Amino acid sequence: MTDHGTPTPSPQQIFTELSVALTGFDRAELAGTGLIETYYTTLLRIIGEREAGHLFLAAAEALAADRRNHDGEALRRQVVENPRYAPVIVSLIKLWYLGSWYPLSGGYRDINGSTAEDVEHVVSPQAYREGLVWIAAGAHPMGAKPPGFGSWAEPPSLPVF
Amino acid sequence: MSTSNDYDIVIVGGGISAATIAKTVIEKAAAQTPPRHPRILILEAGRATAMSADKYDTYVGAFQEALAKVPNSPYPASSSAPQPDVLDIGRPIMGPDGTTKVPSDNGYFVQMGPLPFGSDYARSLGGTTLHWLGTCLRMLPNDFRMRDAYRHSVNWPLSYEDLKPYYERAEWDIIGVSANVEDQVYPGIGGDPAKFFKSANTAKFPDGVYHFPMERIPSSYLDQYLAKKSAGLVVELTDREGRPHTFPVELSNTPVGRNSQPAEGYQVIGAVGNFDQGQRCEGNSSCIPICPAQAKYNALKTLYELIVKYPDRDPADGARKARVAIRSQCVVSRVRHTQQKDGTGTVTGLTYRTWFDDGSAPVDHTVTADTYVLAANAIENATLLLASGAANTSDQVGRNLMDHPLLLTWGLLEDGVGAYRGPGSTSGIPAFRDGSFRSERTAFRVEIGNWGWNFPENAPYDTVHDLVGGGESGAVGLYGRALRERLGEILPAQFRIAWELEQDPEPTNRVTIDDRYKDALGNHRPVIHYDLSPYVRDSLPWAAEASRQLFTQLGIGDQVRRPEYRPGDYTHYDPNDPSAVTHDGVTYWVRGAGHVVGTHRMGDDPTTSVVDSHQRSHDLPNLYIVGCGSMPTLGTSNPTLTMTALALRTGDRIAEQLKGNDA
Repeated sequence: MTDHGTPTPSPQQIFTELSVALTGFDRAELAGTGLIETYYTTLLRIIGEREAGHLFLAAAEALAADRRNHDGEALRRQVVENPRYAPVIVSLIKLWYLGSWYPLSGGYRDINGSTAEDVEHVVSPQAYREGLVWIAAGAHPMGAKPPGFGSWAEPPSLPVF
Repeated sequence: MSTSNDYDIVIVGGGISAATIAKTVIEKAAAQTPPRHPRILILEAGRATAMSADKYDTYVGAFQEALAKVPNSPYPASSSAPQPDVLDIGRPIMGPDGTTKVPSDNGYFVQMGPLPFGSDYARSLGGTTLHWLGTCLRMLPNDFRMRDAYRHSVNWPLSYEDLKPYYERAEWDIIGVSANVEDQVYPGIGGDPAKFFKSANTAKFPDGVYHFPMERIPSSYLDQYLAKKSAGLVVELTDREGRPHTFPVELSNTPVGRNSQPAEGYQVIGAVGNFDQGQRCEGNSSCIPICPAQAKYNALKTLYELIVKYPDRDPADGARKARVAIRSQCVVSRVRHTQQKDGTGTVTGLTYRTWFDDGSAPVDHTVTADTYVLAANAIENATLLLASGAANTSDQVGRNLMDHPLLLTWGLLEDGVGAYRGPGSTSGIPAFRDGSFRSERTAFRVEIGNWGWNFPENAPYDTVHDLVGGGESGAVGLYGRALRERLGEILPAQFRIAWELEQDPEPTNRVTIDDRYKDALGNHRPVIHYDLSPYVRDSLPWAAEASRQLFTQLGIGDQVRRPEYRPGDYTHYDPNDPSAVTHDGVTYWVRGAGHVVGTHRMGDDPTTSVVDSHQRSHDLPNLYIVGCGSMPTLGTSNPTLTMTALALRTGDRIAEQLKGNDA
């Protein structure tokens, strides 16, 4: 259900676009982690398909509005600042940046209950290695992707984005 | 080999001391006239870790998947050979009379207090070299003569000059150390590093001009930044008599057991079972808890060399050769001996239990040898001797437990310096390692950390939590490009310093045993009494003040606290932390450095020491008790290099005394 008869994006496409907006990393960078599908299913398992459906619907509408208006206002107002979704957004951002799931915050579980997997855990060694925080820091994951002998003596630089 | 005993030598523990002694004895004995070819058994209490690069990789994966990436996180423990973990550190509850009301025993250690002992070690083949940082500083000449120089602590039965040839061999033949002599400017060496390192081995080093086997590991960009910003700074501190002591802040590149550009004629040792890997440090930034490339030395490398060169079977060609057997999951529970109370005797065997973790019961064994070596870590050596009632005429076994109590200070710099890149530390500030102040308060080493606030603030994790939000409101803080940009400003500008204090030997800081506290195999768990003396505590305000003077010079003198982020000094100490120490009304956090030292100290006098300068028991002449436990004082050097030098000296002695008809 989009304007001008373009095909309806799939839930995973919406998830990807939402992740781009929340992380500040573009689609290619996120795809490069190899974790889009893993995190998509992680989110679905932990918050349930029903609540995820509501989130994706709200996100798709907001992202479409933001595309029309060339800003991020709709996403901010309708999703990020929406108390219903904010705790999920927090955990999703941390998932991308740190490769770990952190339990849903605020009063989320009082409203929605809790799932067995909603506990702090490292999703996988790959998820740890692909944490976006290391790129944001101009570094590399500690214990992986070594930048080479003597690289630490060079002045730091951050990737342009 | 001996006709009656199972082995020439049995070594308890499969870490760097065991590996060094086995290698030294074998090579030295083979070169003697007549040559000897000992049969050696190494008993490791823990798991076999890995003897190939692909198996080693599984430990790297375990680290990456671990929730809390603490030093022991890659190395699984067993209830049959439990190991201490820094996550278990809790504060015992003390009664008003200073006795322990409730010990903290939620981990392997039973902490009796008043302070918890804050360090861990690994019980796995390779020992704690699996997760050491690799720092290889020699001790300073005055460190060996504290009683003579400063009327404090005790002297060693050895001098720096005595140990110097063994330091050279430890740096070349066992660990492989990267450093440049000219960088090593320390107090107390007369101003000239070339003289401090001058070698008597003129065959190897013409005119005695010493050099390390590998070039220095490059100093980090942070080191260079700090050196520039602090140029000319002289820290001034005042002693109890009101006298000023001045400390010029000069950075010194730290010698490390981490592979770099080799000197001519030096063969770099790469990963276990994959020689091409780990020829140079690749900058994995995880020396602790695990170097994925194995560019950093670990004792598996030496053990691997031994089992490849000296397999435990008769050589096919009939040549006479030493043999080395390594058995893991074998916990020694008793040293059997003939010693009566306050007398001498001999060791007659070791009792050990092999455990399986597959549901079957452990199996008991007894093994005999001509010479026995305990190399199981200072705390493990002590508990085993105490449980066996052995080698303790001096009543010093378990006493004088020491560490480098470590004060962290941390700040956010005005500029990004590229934190989270490179080895954990590449430079230090040696100014506080020696001086006349040591007659009233302890010396300290200053280690500059390259991994941002990883140690003091669990960064980058907690930095992300601060910025992204959550918590009670569940509200989102920063997200999208703003989040990415802000992290790029904060994380590269984080830095921390560790002020590592020399702990003095005190008989009341001790490891004991108590029949109420045993592990799954029925062996005694270490029961630890631990505190910091006034001599140590008096240097806490000095280190804190030195840090303030340095941070002010760096332009970050303002006190700031998370979750606010701007250039400033973020050092703060929560009084509820288990490591909190209050001194003169000020609270500090004192962490452990993982330097477990001093439980069977060496000396010439059998009434005040456990072993002689060759680490041989005064009470049981066929028993050597080796490792950091033998050190009478600690100095400000990380102890592994000195432990290795001592093990080489012990290995030479055992080789000379090898008896038997095998030859």
